Amino acid sequence: MFRKKDPEMAARIPPGQHLTRGWPVLSASPVPPFDPATWRFRCTGLCDGADWSWDEFRAMPSVRLTSDVHCVTAWSKLDNIWDGVLFKEVAARAGVKPEATHALVKAPFGYDANLPLEALLDDDVLFAWNHDGEPLEPKHGGPLRLVVPKRYFWKSTKWANEIEFLDHDQRGFWEVRGYHNDAFPYLEQRYSWQE
Amino acid sequence: MAADPASVWKLVERADEFVKYAQNRDPRTAYQQARAVLDEAEALVGQLDEKAATALRAQIETRRADIARFEGSA
Repeated sequence: MFRKKDPEMAARIPPGQHLTRGWPVLSASPVPPFDPATWRFRCTGLCDGADWSWDEFRAMPSVRLTSDVHCVTAWSKLDNIWDGVLFKEVAARAGVKPEATHALVKAPFGYDANLPLEALLDDDVLFAWNHDGEPLEPKHGGPLRLVVPKRYFWKSTKWANEIEFLDHDQRGFWEVRGYHNDAFPYLEQRYSWQE
Repeated sequence: MAADPASVWKLVERADEFVKYAQNRDPRTAYQQARAVLDEAEALVGQLDEKAATALRAQIETRRADIARFEGSA
């Protein structure tokens, strides 16, 4: 259990955040339906292109990573165990073109989140299908969500089904709605007027 | 009540929270609550300078459109 006097634990809680025991459910949109027979994951924009089925996506080499989650609504959840495929593995298979510098990771209902490619190619960024050893629940982004531990959690697109590779930055869903483009929790980059 | 951009934004952000937690509750009620808070925010926008008012009105309208879209998909 977290104690404020534990300096190691305290260092893992960014300013303005508090620990949660559960996992609050947040999403701008309703939960999209999932049918493994018809689900597709597409890579578009500055890449050779890809269009994978659920089975094809799941057949990629998987990793298990542990990371902390920091939501802009001020809760943090530590030591999450994720199973999935690294973003950089997906990008390599999509044949990303050298001129690509940014990407939008998209989901149904028009949701997307933008990040520099450099951030997405980090060793701790993955598309996860399991959380703590169990299939990711639909309300938490199942069957597949992006996980970008170094940014506020809205950058970790739930129900991810497309990456668009770009040669410029383009703000995503929350980023055009007044939230910060970079979203570093330790810098408390919550709002666009801080930019 | 005197308004400043920060206090109007707080209301917009509160509407966001209603929307973000809607799937955890009764979405219809949550969307109604979000709309009510956005109405409250809009009522205060007229007290702001033109630049802030324009920006915040756009944010309010974007959210109203989002809610209408989400309601149609729910």
